[in-house]
Amino acid sequence: MRRGVVAVFRELDALVEAIEELRENKYAGVTVFTPTPRHEIEDALGNPPSPVRRFTLIGGLLGVTFGYWVAVWTSEYWPLVVGGKPFASWIPYTIIGFELMVMVGALSTVAGMFTMSRIPKIIRTTGFDPRFTGNEFGIYVEAAPERLRDADALLRKHGAVEVRDET
Amino acid sequence: MATLARPVGEKLPNVASANVQIPGIKDYEEVNRDIAATLTPTAGWFGLLAVAVLCFLWGAGTFIYQIYWGLGNAGYNPPVMWGVYIISFVFWVGIGHAGTLISAILYLFRAGFRTTIYRCAEAMTVFAVMTAALFPIIHIGRPWKFFWLIPYPNWRLLFPNFKSPLVWDVFAITTYLTVSSTFLYVGLVPDIAVLRDREKNPLRKRILSILSLGWRNSEPEWRHFARMYLFLAAFSTPLVLSVHSVVSFDFAMALTPGWHATIFPPYFVAGAIFSGLGMVFTIIIPIRKYFRLQHIVTINHLDAAAKLCLATSLIVGCAYLIEFWVAWYSGVEYEQAYFWNRVFGQWWWAAWIMLTCNMILPLSLFSQKLRRNPSWLFILSIFINLGMWFERFVIIVPSLSHEFEPWQWGTYVPSWVDISILVGSFGWFFMWFLLFIKQLPVVAIAEVKEIIPPRLRSHRVPDDVDVAGHHLKYGTDTPGEFE
Repeated sequence: MRRGVVAVFRELDALVEAIEELRENKYAGVTVFTPTPRHEIEDALGNPPSPVRRFTLIGGLLGVTFGYWVAVWTSEYWPLVVGGKPFASWIPYTIIGFELMVMVGALSTVAGMFTMSRIPKIIRTTGFDPRFTGNEFGIYVEAAPERLRDADALLRKHGAVEVRDET
Repeated sequence: MATLARPVGEKLPNVASANVQIPGIKDYEEVNRDIAATLTPTAGWFGLLAVAVLCFLWGAGTFIYQIYWGLGNAGYNPPVMWGVYIISFVFWVGIGHAGTLISAILYLFRAGFRTTIYRCAEAMTVFAVMTAALFPIIHIGRPWKFFWLIPYPNWRLLFPNFKSPLVWDVFAITTYLTVSSTFLYVGLVPDIAVLRDREKNPLRKRILSILSLGWRNSEPEWRHFARMYLFLAAFSTPLVLSVHSVVSFDFAMALTPGWHATIFPPYFVAGAIFSGLGMVFTIIIPIRKYFRLQHIVTINHLDAAAKLCLATSLIVGCAYLIEFWVAWYSGVEYEQAYFWNRVFGQWWWAAWIMLTCNMILPLSLFSQKLRRNPSWLFILSIFINLGMWFERFVIIVPSLSHEFEPWQWGTYVPSWVDISILVGSFGWFFMWFLLFIKQLPVVAIAEVKEIIPPRLRSHRVPDDVDVAGHHLKYGTDTPGEFE
């Protein structure tokens, strides 16, 4: 059964026009493959900004909290009494807090990217073609079988060098 | 319709700027082909790798000797109890800084010339920090107990003192190593996917498939990737400034003459970036020559990096001079005696190597002709590496050998153990680097594709003209790409 069609494009402007017309015709399952990120494609697709930044914020806050906490807790637990001063001194602990903020924040950003783009992927991605890491752009349209014929024609009209079915 | 890449026929100025382009490359496939071509091993590469491995084994053997016979075999001689190991620690951490500067800070500043050199610089960072992290462990008498510096729950409920600069170092270096290696790896993922799809050998294809994490170049992947990359760069930027500041606190927190100065953090950070740029040139110039990447890593990119090198050299030179001025202006006779001893006394030769290599020779980069001459940049980079190692020597040894009271004065001569381990560290660094350059792309494939004009339908052009319709006459290494 036909699940979708894959179109291979050589030219960026052809790809962008095809994406725009697919959007006008309300095709929902459109995945674009591109050898390198291009703003033109991003604009044409009009997707919302990536939520990876929330992972960054949460990770950073957790890291800085843990950094200060571990240093303060250690000082209180193992007091070094010097001249009646408080055991915990927050100024040098800023270094610990900062470094752990960066470490936990960075790692959670990467974890966020992994979660959002669903990698590592261990199964074959439908609609992917090895040429999409080389020279060519690609569009994979997933739709109901009766709409796929129109999608096929639309993609060819915009200059796809190859359109094939994906089952 | 969305706006497309850049207007056709626009005249660009003949300067190395943020808008650096690579006219020598016509399409994406050529990027893949040219960069993947660097991965075939050659006899010269095997030869260099053999030398690096031998140096590393020599250093490792010496370390085993030192563990067996004790730290007394290193050249430590009271009062100089920090020697080649700490010097090399600071040196290697510093080397790493240029990599993060190029990959993260210049990314935030949208400096186009970073694109082709950043992968090399970033790999250099990771391997340099890996090398640096070994030195404090080699330096401590019982290296198998280094993990005591890490706060972990233990049955004696003993924890490190978080007010100690040495503990700050542990946190700074661990974070730096983690974040820079993560940054390197996630940046590599799309490029590994390119190699995966080109690979014919089933075993290598399998390994590359696993390493590429199933990356598919789909738009959602890129969207999240770009956002992640931005935030990693934003985290790495203050991190790179903090790491060498923390390293400088190892010295600045002490009362020793020559060390107890507030100028140390910026002075160290500028020095670190300067030394790292030296190492970048040492690495990238042979790579672009022997891998035939002159049309990708163009003279304009080297020119722009050389300007950065010149700027950091001026900052470092300024810091050297301010140190003398502060010693004089402070009126503290210990500081004054120390600085006199450093430049005209016991350590004059080391101080003058430092001043010549780091302050005087880089002034040649004011000449555009020399900035655009890779041979000169390579020679200069060797001097910078030497000078920056001696800078750390000059910071550490003269201070310790000339403290407040005459009975505290001493001298220091590195022993063969020190020198062997230093040589071994270069072997270790270059061993990793050489292994890296033949397994993974030394130039970021996906990012180079970003700066070359995409193929467009609206104007089909003959093969000897690029898609944007200009750069008709282009030979590699032509000064001024836009003529």
